[in-house]
Amino acid sequence: MYKWNTQAIGMMENNKKRPVHLDLLHIRLPVGGVVSILHRITGVALVLSLPAAIFLLRESLLDPEGYGRVSALLQSLPMRILLYLLLLAVGHHFFAGVRHLLLDIDIGISRSGSRRGAWLVLAAVAAITAMGLFIIW
Amino acid sequence: MRRHSGSAHRGLGEWLVQRVSALYLAGFTFWLALRLGLGWPADYTAWRTWLGGGGVRLAFGVFFLSVALHAWVGMRSVFLDYLKPAWLRFTLQMLTSVGLLVLLLWAAEILLIEARP
Repeated sequence: MYKWNTQAIGMMENNKKRPVHLDLLHIRLPVGGVVSILHRITGVALVLSLPAAIFLLRESLLDPEGYGRVSALLQSLPMRILLYLLLLAVGHHFFAGVRHLLLDIDIGISRSGSRRGAWLVLAAVAAITAMGLFIIW
Repeated sequence: MRRHSGSAHRGLGEWLVQRVSALYLAGFTFWLALRLGLGWPADYTAWRTWLGGGGVRLAFGVFFLSVALHAWVGMRSVFLDYLKPAWLRFTLQMLTSVGLLVLLLWAAEILLIEARP
């Protein structure tokens, strides 16, 4: 009886030491999960950028001075960096979205196919990342 | 339509709105990137002339409508998946709806009045 008890306590101690990986640095997300969470993050970021985009569209249309102001603003370094990030966000959301639409019609739905698709999305975004540097600068 | 809803927990309607708007947004983005990639309108006059065209304004109008609908469904999924308290979900969803509606009306005003040739 006494022995059983110590064993039980020992087991409980072990249970406490189980690795519970809620630490984000220890969770390894599969590639499909990475593409998916980035799809959400870029989506929210794009929604948040809408007011500024509409404001700039309006300014650029009102008169030549407004057009000049917008044009000068977009060519400043901080805005170029922001535009570059926006390009990456649009690029990722676009390709991940196309993948999603293809999954809806059962293309790339298999385990290996979906993983390949996710890597393709990341490759396309990497290509845009490189190309964007040339376009923005 | 064998699977449905995904993370949009409610209804085929939202699922369909998200997908149909996604198709338009993808096509529009591709067209815009190609059009502006081939050559940005050189100055204010060219920019206005281009954006004043009926077809271009219609394309932009449908774009803003699609963005608003797509964003509404998408933000809703995000709120439902990551926020637990009902009042917080409700508040943020309301703010999103009102915000998107205001943006949509603003865009409509720009396309119908400011962009008119």
